[in-house]
Amino acid sequence: MRKRVAVELVGFGMLLMAVAVSAPAAGQSAAAASRGYTPPRTQHGQPDLQGIWQVMNTAAWDIQDHPAQLLFGLPPRFGVPAGQGVVEGNEIPYQPWALAKKKENYENRLTADPEAKCYMPGVPRITYMPYPFQILEFSDRVVILYEDLHVTRQIYTDGSPHLKNVLFDLWMGDSRGRWEGDTLVVDVTSFEPQTWFDRAGNFHSEALHVVERYTRTGPDHMLYEVTIEDPKVFTRPWKMSMPIYRRQETNVQLLEYECYAYAWEAADRGKK
Amino acid sequence: MSNRLSGCAGAMTVAVALVLLASVPGAGQAPLPQTGCPQEPALFHPCALAKAKTFSPPRTPDGKPDIQGFWRAPGSGTESIEEHPKTADDSGARSMIVDPPDGKIPYQPWALLQAKENRQKYVEPNTGCFPSGVPRVFYTPTRFQILQSPGNVVILVERAHTYRIIPTDGRPHVGKNIGLWVGDSRGRWEGNTLIVDVTNQNAMPWFDQKGDFYSDAAHMVERFTLIDADTIHYEITIEDPTVYTRPWTMVFPMRRIRDKGLELPEEACHEGEENVQLLIDLGYRIYPGVRRPSPR
Repeated sequence: MRKRVAVELVGFGMLLMAVAVSAPAAGQSAAAASRGYTPPRTQHGQPDLQGIWQVMNTAAWDIQDHPAQLLFGLPPRFGVPAGQGVVEGNEIPYQPWALAKKKENYENRLTADPEAKCYMPGVPRITYMPYPFQILEFSDRVVILYEDLHVTRQIYTDGSPHLKNVLFDLWMGDSRGRWEGDTLVVDVTSFEPQTWFDRAGNFHSEALHVVERYTRTGPDHMLYEVTIEDPKVFTRPWKMSMPIYRRQETNVQLLEYECYAYAWEAADRGKK
Repeated sequence: MSNRLSGCAGAMTVAVALVLLASVPGAGQAPLPQTGCPQEPALFHPCALAKAKTFSPPRTPDGKPDIQGFWRAPGSGTESIEEHPKTADDSGARSMIVDPPDGKIPYQPWALLQAKENRQKYVEPNTGCFPSGVPRVFYTPTRFQILQSPGNVVILVERAHTYRIIPTDGRPHVGKNIGLWVGDSRGRWEGNTLIVDVTNQNAMPWFDQKGDFYSDAAHMVERFTLIDADTIHYEITIEDPTVYTRPWTMVFPMRRIRDKGLELPEEACHEGEENVQLLIDLGYRIYPGVRRPSPR
């Protein structure tokens, strides 16, 4: 707990030296990100990102460096491992009011995290939830199907613009994609503000703008880079990155995690 | 109601039934524009199969019949898959069951009682935004999208953002002890028909609001056949020796949605859902599903 506060105070201090901190680049150049690997092509001539993938980290719990911790009220085997953060520089450039809000979120995280209520985790958290996902490519879109909560994302690559006049904010945002070399660049807007980036209470507003970059770096690896921009919450854009691993098992497939159904069943079992 | 209708249906020919049951919506629906096939399932079925024999479907780049696009099935099916009248709550429809010919689910006696009890005792699973299961994903009032790529047919359903992945690469089903809300699907093409074998049911969904159900032993086989540019003949045979006296078959048309520039919107069902708690407070229980005795 003390370590976390120290990290955040350092981050706040750095805000005052704004000039010294250069804004992170929107992403490595596609060539650098790919580490020289050229992926095969789909039948439509696009870089082939298809298959079943999964990350291997604890970012869903905390996107910054964190020690191991137990979950309150549960036996020691139900804890969260320690993890090295996925945030570049390990600092999230909150505005002062937002930093206070994040701390409040953290205090209440077990009940306040919308993901704990089995709500959709939003982007990019859905990528680093501990469940596999399947990427499928079609002529005018990339579809990503997630085992967690059977979340679906359609990333339109047909040049269509973002939705205008969105009636409801979207839990998973509105995704429009394009290819930059062998990198799929996905621009995501129109976010529902309720989602958190992790269980640690890192949050955003409806002004969130996410840019994802998916780059194959080898037969079984992909680099995932995310730029987060939200002028209502942060003082500047900031970036996360992590490897994604191809699931290797023969005939591996997505199964189901119907979180809220399990919750209702458990509540019902508790009755006579 | 059901006793009276089943007694009548046994004695009538289909043509007479059409006239006498005109008060049931569906009997008077306009025939489908391109084929002239009636929409009522029992009449649609033979007409559509005849049309399929001479229809040459468009093909995907890898040579399979192209059934991609946005589709809709009769939303009245979610009320009951059997014949049911128009009421204040229901739009009503003819039965989607074409076999047995009386249009009723051939329940074993215990299961008929269970079906009646379901509606009275349990929260209707779709209320909780649980996946509708197969085949209700199609005929719950919603839109769905079919996408094809080599080795996969993917069905994206608007309701509760449900999806079905149907590998067509010949891989085996997943292991027996994994039960799934939408089952485990394996597809293959035979002529112009996509045949999908569905196993690994977790038996949590219902066929309809009425409480019609299946067990985790259910084995379903679907057939999707394009009969004209805008219509799929959909047929599903359901076999479950735990629940029924024999296999039975449902048929209905899937009709293409031709809106330009349509994108399937996100339906955040659970995120706004408040009715399950109300029903629990009224004393309804969560439906536990009917399972075979465990071998372990």
